[in-house]
Amino acid sequence: MAYSSERSQENRRGFLDPRTKLALVLLLALFVMGGLGGEALRPAKTAMSFLPFALLLIERRWKSFARGVIMLATGYGLLFIMPRLPGVLNYFALFCGGILTRFAVTVVMGEYLIATTTVSEFISAMEKIRMPQAVTIPMSVMFRLFPTIASEWKSIRRAMRMRGIHLGGARASQVLEYQLVPMMSSTVRIGEELSASALTRGLGAPVRRTNICRIGFRAQDFILLAGCLFVILLWILESIGVKLW
Amino acid sequence: MVELKNVSFRYGSEESGAELRNSLTGVDLRVETGEFVLLTGPSGCGKTTVLRLINGLIPHFYPGKVEGSVLIDGRSVTDRELYETAMLVGTVFQNPRSQFYNVDTTGELAFGCENRGLPEEEIYSRIDGTVSRFGIEKLMDRSIFQLSDGEKQKIACASVDVSGADIILLDEPSANLDYEATASLRETIKLWQKQGKTIIAAEHRIAYLWDLVDRALIMSEGRIVRELSGEEKKGLSDSGLAAIGLRGIRQEAPESIELPTVLPGDDAIVLRDFSFSYPGSAAPLFDLPELRLAAGEITAVTGSNGAGKTSFLNCLCGSEKGCRGTLKFGGRLYSAKERQKLCFMVMQDTGNQLFTESVLYEVLISLPKGTSDERGRAMDILAGLDLDGFADRHPQSLSGGQKQRLAIACALASGRRILLLDEPTSGLDHAHMMQTASLLERLRLMGTTIVVVTHDSELIRACCGRRLLFGQLA
Repeated sequence: MAYSSERSQENRRGFLDPRTKLALVLLLALFVMGGLGGEALRPAKTAMSFLPFALLLIERRWKSFARGVIMLATGYGLLFIMPRLPGVLNYFALFCGGILTRFAVTVVMGEYLIATTTVSEFISAMEKIRMPQAVTIPMSVMFRLFPTIASEWKSIRRAMRMRGIHLGGARASQVLEYQLVPMMSSTVRIGEELSASALTRGLGAPVRRTNICRIGFRAQDFILLAGCLFVILLWILESIGVKLW
Repeated sequence: MVELKNVSFRYGSEESGAELRNSLTGVDLRVETGEFVLLTGPSGCGKTTVLRLINGLIPHFYPGKVEGSVLIDGRSVTDRELYETAMLVGTVFQNPRSQFYNVDTTGELAFGCENRGLPEEEIYSRIDGTVSRFGIEKLMDRSIFQLSDGEKQKIACASVDVSGADIILLDEPSANLDYEATASLRETIKLWQKQGKTIIAAEHRIAYLWDLVDRALIMSEGRIVRELSGEEKKGLSDSGLAAIGLRGIRQEAPESIELPTVLPGDDAIVLRDFSFSYPGSAAPLFDLPELRLAAGEITAVTGSNGAGKTSFLNCLCGSEKGCRGTLKFGGRLYSAKERQKLCFMVMQDTGNQLFTESVLYEVLISLPKGTSDERGRAMDILAGLDLDGFADRHPQSLSGGQKQRLAIACALASGRRILLLDEPTSGLDHAHMMQTASLLERLRLMGTTIVVVTHDSELIRACCGRRLLFGQLA
């Protein structure tokens, strides 16, 4: 059968709408990572923390799921053994464990957002919430640049090892500085070439863009967004002094 | 119809001092609708600048002073907004890694039409048309990070095709491509010619399109110095082209050049059970029970894009984690870690391996500890590579060829005995390619073993004495 881009777009449609994913990242960042709502909201926060992991399983992102679980397990492991450790190590374990347990869930959610959202879906979602192009375009470039920066970084690290510059080597103190020099110039160059290419393809025209990707709220989006609203409601009630449980 | 009337251009603003390189002086050019014109000439001659004037990136994106007029169908490009020009002109750029705005192939094909606000149904049918004409069903709905350079360039061409632009600009599109991918690019261009598109290509490697072009314009220092068409174009030989500083027009697959891998009299470097697999993948990319390379010779490694040649080099110099196996050189076995001190690799993206703020310092940190008169020794090495005049320059401000020579200078300073190069001549003109070839020959005479991954048949002809066919071994 001949290739049909329309059919394939339909098949590739993500489990969630990008707007739902963004709302979840925001909420997790505020409540779980930022600690908004304090102890009173703990049950809601615990429930929310399972969400990104469940989503990764639904989208079959086994690797990201495993990475997230390991991050979280290491964090709790450190907090668990912390009281049994001597002096400085104790402090170190508390510090790392605290950061890991606090950040891991939100990081996993962010990773889920980046990994399962195409640039086109992202732009489309931003347009639906009437975000101006001046915000959308730089953010979408960031989407594109992250994986590129990661691969440049890898190649620079490789080059440094080959030149004998590494932590523990002769010039350990300059390692960071040396990494940044090529990193900055290659990121600037790639960013410039990306922009040039996008401009020759009409990005920024003062017309209403179309988008071929399929986004839109479905049952799962409504359920999760209702959950988000519920958490916010709890937080408002709690902050005006209503006893929750 | 595209016209340049007495166009002069310099990059940069007046205050910062205009840069001479890549500037244009009094260029007159007229390309009729449906014509295919080739712009060629040494690096820095201004051919890319001409393309940027036509697609409007100059002066809208790259600032500078434009004199004269650039017209498409009688209307000035300079006065038009970039997005208006974008509907008429499509561009395929040199670097396949940095011309995609999307992370998935289908989104990329749709991008130009989406920006223009075409209705969805129209975009779907255009994409489907292009996909079947280009035969790229297998590349659809993929992440662009999983594609080889050849496949990426194919998607870049396809997205220009979907946009429906009648004028197509090609800015060294073959620089990173192997022989097969270049041949496929040629087919794409033939398709466009048949449709009556106007095509203007800037290229060093002219062999793959020499017989297709209607006219070839040779540029030098910002001027069009010669125009070849008809009989005159047909009558030119490789040596005639070399005399005017151009690359050859003979299409030759690097695989078809007959060279031995090792000769009976060679000192051999022996690789045993050399294998590599990507982390998480069970099947090895290559697995070589025993492989011999000639020590003290220049060996070309050839094979198609994606066969694992670059990974092979990374394994040789011990910087690849998923690599197993040993290397025996001069009666000694080297582990991966020890190989890091034996081999030096000049990467394709040379800028990524230069870390300091001056050329001299870059060489100084490469010298082994305890070298006497470090400065003098470093300057000697730089002088040997014509870089002594640049000792105080920032490495990242050098041209591509100079960066490459600086990386080689670091290799010499570090005293490594095996030098690996990854596509050292991609995007180089004839003169610079020959310069690299003679430099490699000089290093060989100094006793260095050189392994160079390349699909540049001209480079192989110019300096390689041995050849390893990669891909068939694996």
